[in-house]
Amino acid sequence: MQIRFEKKLEPSRKMLFATPILVVVLTMILGAIVFSILGYDGLGAVREIFLTPLTNSLKWQDLAVKAAPLIIIGVGLSIGYRANVWNIGAEGQYIAGGLAATGMALLTHNMSGWYLLPLMGVAGMLGGMAWVFLPALLRTKLKVNEILTSLMLTYVAIQLLNYLIFGPWKSPTAFGQPQTVLFNDWQILPYIIKGTIVQAGAPIAVLIAIMAWIIMSKSVFGFQVRTVGSAPNAARYGGFSENKTIWLVLLISGGLAGLAGMLEVAGPFNRMVPQFPTSYGFTAIIVAFLGRLHPIGVLIAGVVLAITFVGGEIAQTTIGLPNAAVGLFQAMMLFLLLAGDVLVRYNIKIVRARRA
Amino acid sequence: MNIDLTIAIIITMVGASTPLLLAALGELVVEKSGVLNLGVEGMMLTGAVVGFAVTYTTGNPWLGILAAGFAGACVSMIFAFLTLSLFANQVATGLALTIFGAGFSALFGQSFTGKPIKLFKSIFPDYLTEHPILKVFFDHSPLVYFSLFMVFAVSYFLHKTRAGLVLRAVGENDHSAHSIGYSVIKVRYGAVGFGGMMAGIGGACFPLLLTPQWVEGLTGGRGWIALALVVFSAWKPTRLLAGAYLFGLIATMEVYAKAAGGGFRIIPSELWASLPYLATILVLVLISMRHKMSSSAPACLGKPFISSN
Amino acid sequence: MNNEQSLRLELEGIVKAFPGVLANDDISFSIKKGEIHALLGENGAGKSTLVKMIYGIMKPDEGTISWNGKPMNIANPKAARALGIGMVFQHFSLFEAMTVLENIALGMDEKMSKKALEEKVVNIMQKYGLSLDPKRIVSTLGVGERQRIEIVRALLLNPKLLIMDEPTSVLTPQEVAQLFNVLRQLSSDGCSILYISHKLDEIKELCDSATILRGGKVVATCDPKKETAKTMAAMMIGTSLQAINKVKSKEFSDIGFSVNNLSLRGAGDFGVSLKDISFDVYRGEILGIAGVAGNGQNELQLVLSGEILLKDKAKITMNNIEIGKMSAKERRKHGLCAVPEERHGHAAVPEFSLNDNAILTARNRQNMVRAGMINAKSAKQFTTKIIDEFNVMTTGHGASASSLSGGNLQKFIMGREILQVPDVLVVSQPTWGVDAGAASAIHQALIDLAKGGAAIVIISQDLDELLELCDSLAIINEGTLSQKQKVGVMSIEEIGLLMGGVHGENSSVSSSQKEVMAQ
Repeated sequence: MQIRFEKKLEPSRKMLFATPILVVVLTMILGAIVFSILGYDGLGAVREIFLTPLTNSLKWQDLAVKAAPLIIIGVGLSIGYRANVWNIGAEGQYIAGGLAATGMALLTHNMSGWYLLPLMGVAGMLGGMAWVFLPALLRTKLKVNEILTSLMLTYVAIQLLNYLIFGPWKSPTAFGQPQTVLFNDWQILPYIIKGTIVQAGAPIAVLIAIMAWIIMSKSVFGFQVRTVGSAPNAARYGGFSENKTIWLVLLISGGLAGLAGMLEVAGPFNRMVPQFPTSYGFTAIIVAFLGRLHPIGVLIAGVVLAITFVGGEIAQTTIGLPNAAVGLFQAMMLFLLLAGDVLVRYNIKIVRARRA
Repeated sequence: MNIDLTIAIIITMVGASTPLLLAALGELVVEKSGVLNLGVEGMMLTGAVVGFAVTYTTGNPWLGILAAGFAGACVSMIFAFLTLSLFANQVATGLALTIFGAGFSALFGQSFTGKPIKLFKSIFPDYLTEHPILKVFFDHSPLVYFSLFMVFAVSYFLHKTRAGLVLRAVGENDHSAHSIGYSVIKVRYGAVGFGGMMAGIGGACFPLLLTPQWVEGLTGGRGWIALALVVFSAWKPTRLLAGAYLFGLIATMEVYAKAAGGGFRIIPSELWASLPYLATILVLVLISMRHKMSSSAPACLGKPFISSN
Repeated sequence: MNNEQSLRLELEGIVKAFPGVLANDDISFSIKKGEIHALLGENGAGKSTLVKMIYGIMKPDEGTISWNGKPMNIANPKAARALGIGMVFQHFSLFEAMTVLENIALGMDEKMSKKALEEKVVNIMQKYGLSLDPKRIVSTLGVGERQRIEIVRALLLNPKLLIMDEPTSVLTPQEVAQLFNVLRQLSSDGCSILYISHKLDEIKELCDSATILRGGKVVATCDPKKETAKTMAAMMIGTSLQAINKVKSKEFSDIGFSVNNLSLRGAGDFGVSLKDISFDVYRGEILGIAGVAGNGQNELQLVLSGEILLKDKAKITMNNIEIGKMSAKERRKHGLCAVPEERHGHAAVPEFSLNDNAILTARNRQNMVRAGMINAKSAKQFTTKIIDEFNVMTTGHGASASSLSGGNLQKFIMGREILQVPDVLVVSQPTWGVDAGAASAIHQALIDLAKGGAAIVIISQDLDELLELCDSLAIINEGTLSQKQKVGVMSIEEIGLLMGGVHGENSSVSSSQKEVMAQ
């Protein structure tokens, strides 16, 4: 007996949407088993990580806070991945965006006015774009693989962050703590729902996902990205430049990651601190894939991953599950999703006997 | 420059280079077979934590190394199954493997934080390892000699054996190799497994050779640098050795520059710490400027092989 | 020695059918020991199918293959090699980054030490004067040297029959001469050679006998030394073309599209360089570019459509606008549409819907774009129009291109470009794999488009199609384009000679030319 894969004429749309749901369910089952074997309360872990954040309404605001940066970065990455451009250094672009926004905040620290936040937002996006500029330039001019260059720059961004907050940007009033001064009131995101911790980041994330959806499905640019990613020869025939597309998708993903950095530093952090790199940029890669590189899918996947983050914190306090367990769940989810893709693209046939 | 300092720098450099060298050697074989496994960092982290745990519990670093290699090979099989048997995207699967390794090592390693382990005893007599000059050759961990041996073993395998010839053929033109009658998938499974083993051992070098304690995320992106090194080496094991030592030297300079003081102080330590990563980018640029990548990279690198019958 | 014994290979009544095509129809011929036997025919005549059966890659539906007088069932290439049948393919299966010797070692069925193999290889190379350094890396070798590797690979098996598939199509004249020496020497050693080609001069020079295939059938077996290139060309192309019913040559006045001294270096090892190509196409005229595959057609198509940009904008003009530096998108806006040969992944994106595939090239000319956004309604309208007018069999405008049959997708692609009513249309293989009914519909659409004043260039390997459709014809051979001539003026022989690379005989008039001119 032998298992054979036959490529489907058309990828199964049903499976395309069914697999992510199947994957989440399978991750829960497999996770329960694996963590039981590792000697933890497996069922408890799954319950706390996946369900409690949903059933406990107090945690919903946490979900919104965590999901926002994941969605914003994930949307940008998914546009790039659609075009077969593999920016995996979003974490670096996120840090660079946060730093640029901080720089703007420090520069305008004694000013006031509504325009300070938009100014920081622009600075954040430019910071993210600056961090992706070199990978884009090298990829288009010299065909240097953007995977490695964008990733290497992430480590450089972390060092830059350390240099700035241990050095020139260190607050004189922080008793030697490596952090900047607190931003002023005009430089901190407003709370959109009174009495919660939900700041402007969440609605911006939803807005970005919807805009990206419209652009990717209705605009010539979206069409161009999809064409370059699926069939480069056809794209050239259709009159689309591959290099221009690479530039655009990299600048967009870098810019969005930078914006997420600004929203974080002007939101939950209120100042730049060494704990700023929270690996949202890496988790957003999972978000992009789990969301099937579709902006609305990314929106949902961002919430799912946020659930695991919030749930991880809950499980840490309630059943003493180490925080790192969340990473394992997330990786399992991505593995299962990649394996599940075979259902979308292939018919699986069991062949009884080999032909002689 | 005084000779003692030079020797000390060389010994530190060789140590710092060894994990890179081992992981990159493994990845070189993987890529020669036509597979791009971006999960080196994850496999190194897995090897590091397993190596640490086994060394800690058994007190025997040799067992730790064995376990690390085995663990690396095991997780690499997840990658192999997904990409080779289920034709999953190699880039995405490699990333998933890295995320998996980071999560697994963080979880599994948590209980080992702050615990001490025994390191390898020197394999040479004291009068050699403590000799002021000769210690430059003898005062190293056995892992260093193992890595050097592997450089030549891999080189010999690839260029002098028939199995190595077939492996290269599979990476060069999978369809031709298939039509001649070689099993592309089997060869690639083997290569990925070897790459996993080497990455696992490379990862275990961090606790068993560099700093004898468990620190979360201790590989610090070395797995990614190893990937860049493979490109730098133009897929040649001996050039890989030179590349790894060059990077080891850059990493070592950070430590000694701080100690040296004086003129070196002007350069912030963060810039020193960034150097390996910036150097990696620079190397990638130089490589692609000097010769067409296509001429030295295995022609089938990263492309899935789907047999037509 | 009686006749039976001196036959190395004998084919009797070989039939091979594929869905919809009878590729080989009752083919019989034989090859003697030491004979160099040519298999001559146009693309699609059934040569490669026949050879694949001899080499064990395919099995015949009917008929027998006899080897040294005994009927054989050749199960696979390994069995063929064991019998002593060697083959040198047109497309080499070599490993670029490896040495010559490594490549040879990988192809050996039996294992032997590197040293023993090297000795053997060197012996064979010396014997046949094949100069080749076993330690060289393949990627540094020229095409001729690469072919020598394949020949050595085949010779190591001590073949009794060597099949050469279009061996000279990529060689320089000097390399051809060297190859012929090797083949003659092999033949004098008793090895038979089955030489597949469409190059008439070469066959005359090299071969002892020739079997000519057309449409899957043997039309003649002859002694090429006694024939002229012209008579063989006539046999190869056939005289069925007399029946062409075509409106008498029209007169044209305005030049719609012109190419001036265009040269382009071929990319990579197998790319063909275009050499000083010039032609004009009048408005209303259909120009056919004929030629054997791989003589620069792809390169010409890409450079005309704007997928390869030129440094000098004046090399290509349309309606007196210089467009040599314009992108495909810009050219389309100015009224130049194009259809490349490869449907999947080039002329269409397989996983996209027909709707999206219409947007791919028609978005600007059909007003589907407003302020950067795609107007779904006009895209759908245009797609539906293509499906209706070109009779595309599909479930609707939302079906993916990959779900269509090859012929239907071709109809869709042709329809998409023709319905944009371009001023200039450049098409490769307009009816490749399309059934006869659909092909004639496409032909009619092209003729109607030309009537409306468009200048049309058709690049095709199907000579029948070109003669039926075109007003004038030029032949491309090794990147050089012949003078354009009116279809009625050019004789079949002349076309065949030009396709076969024989130049400079285009003034002779023969009797069969009248046949073509006769309506």
